[in-house]
Amino acid sequence: MELFKVLLELITLPAFILGLIALVGLLIQKKSTSEVIVGTIKTILGLLIMSIGIGALINALIPIQSMFQVGIPAAGFETFVTFDEAVVGAVQSANEANIGAAIAWTMLFGYIIHLVLARVTKFKYVYLTGHMIWIHAGAFAILFQSFGLSLFWTVVLASIVDGAYMTLAPALAQPVMRKIIGNDSIAFGHGQTLLNMVGAWVGKLVGDPNDSAEDAEMPDSLNFFRDMAISISLIMVVVALIAVILAVLQIGIAGVQETISGGQNWFVFALLQALGFTAGVLVLLQGVRMLIAEIVPAFKGVADKLIPGAIPALDCPVIYPFAPNSLIIGLISGTIGQVLGMVGLALIGWPVPLPSMIAAFFASGAGAIFGNATGGRRGAWAGGFIWGFVGWFMISFAYKFQVFGDLAGMGAIDLGFTVPDAIIPGIVIWLIAKIFGV
Amino acid sequence: MKIATICGMGFGTSMMLKLFIEDVFKAKGITGHQVIPWDLGTFKGQQVDLVVAPTDMKSHLKGSETKVVYIKNLVDKQEIEEKIVAAIKELESK
Repeated sequence: MELFKVLLELITLPAFILGLIALVGLLIQKKSTSEVIVGTIKTILGLLIMSIGIGALINALIPIQSMFQVGIPAAGFETFVTFDEAVVGAVQSANEANIGAAIAWTMLFGYIIHLVLARVTKFKYVYLTGHMIWIHAGAFAILFQSFGLSLFWTVVLASIVDGAYMTLAPALAQPVMRKIIGNDSIAFGHGQTLLNMVGAWVGKLVGDPNDSAEDAEMPDSLNFFRDMAISISLIMVVVALIAVILAVLQIGIAGVQETISGGQNWFVFALLQALGFTAGVLVLLQGVRMLIAEIVPAFKGVADKLIPGAIPALDCPVIYPFAPNSLIIGLISGTIGQVLGMVGLALIGWPVPLPSMIAAFFASGAGAIFGNATGGRRGAWAGGFIWGFVGWFMISFAYKFQVFGDLAGMGAIDLGFTVPDAIIPGIVIWLIAKIFGV
Repeated sequence: MKIATICGMGFGTSMMLKLFIEDVFKAKGITGHQVIPWDLGTFKGQQVDLVVAPTDMKSHLKGSETKVVYIKNLVDKQEIEEKIVAAIKELESK
């Protein structure tokens, strides 16, 4: 019995469930014994590494947040970091009420439902963006578990929504993708779809696709934002310095060093927290990388057999080479949108997501490319801006009203979701649940 | 041969390039190569034989001692096939 109990405890651990999924995937692909063992162990290690990164990231974030709290006097506003990988990673590693297991099972069954839907409906898309498969499984599992459902019903409902999302979102974006790429060879598989489509619709209203942003010459000097380590460091150093200066203005240097930095020089402390946060993100991403490295090829292997000729739905950077100018316009207009969104949110007293260069580059960049496809240069500016501005309100809404439940209580302290494809269905389902009094 | 595909995060575009390269290898019956997705931040200092990256990463990979193949159209299997098969041939003949 004791052995049985140990086994049961082991197989309900999220890391081992994901290891199990990888194991089956590797076996289906008929990999060699050594590859199967290595792949399975690496997948398990991925989740454990992720939790170490999350710990470092949150440890660095908490003092920055407390500096904001001290620095912005009462009746001010609350700030948080919007970062999907960190939310799902933190919740899954903390594993409150075994939510991590629900996430892992949703990732598997959601994908199975997706493949079945792609097989039987006319939407022949196969979603292959690994971290997005994981994030959406996580978001929907967290959402349904927050209604107080059992593990079984959480996994059933979350998998259905997740499977439907992965099948329908690429179909929704395909008319615009066809304009961007010129053919139907690939589809869009990233959680940005809904806001990118808003960008495309607005682009159509305000601009002219023949006046393409791609006709102009643009410098590519902003390209360094692609290096995660650099872009996150830069933004976090600025954020931490603003936080510490605000705190110093309120309680003085001595006050900060006494109550927050543990005696360390205020400037050095702020710098270290910013870089410590970045280091945590890099460790987290290493974990994500190991987690999905084995699972994505396995999913693709099954999809190739089950749905021959399906269109692969891929990560957002596949469209960048088709519209490099729009990408830069998106980075600029998205940053402006974020800053104006922050000001607006602070004015109405809602929680303020700190600026994110990841969102500005990857999300507003893609939004601008969608906008350019339907509305040319003006569309590109609108698409990037909308992602930053409207996106910031949407992100704040989900955080403020706890659409996904008490994320902080589940381990994701001061963290919120970013992608509209998780947040908007999340809000709709949350509202329906409210109406029924859940 | 060890081939690294590179992107900013190390699991999006690089993973996709890996899958496409493996499709090409499978279709052409090429074996004996390992394709690893990698991120821009940590790939320096790694021992690989060939690096594959999107063209817009050129400025980040300048000065790489390993041979780098740049892919312009990430979804064009023809381009991927031609460039990578040629690069492998070149490296193997050395």
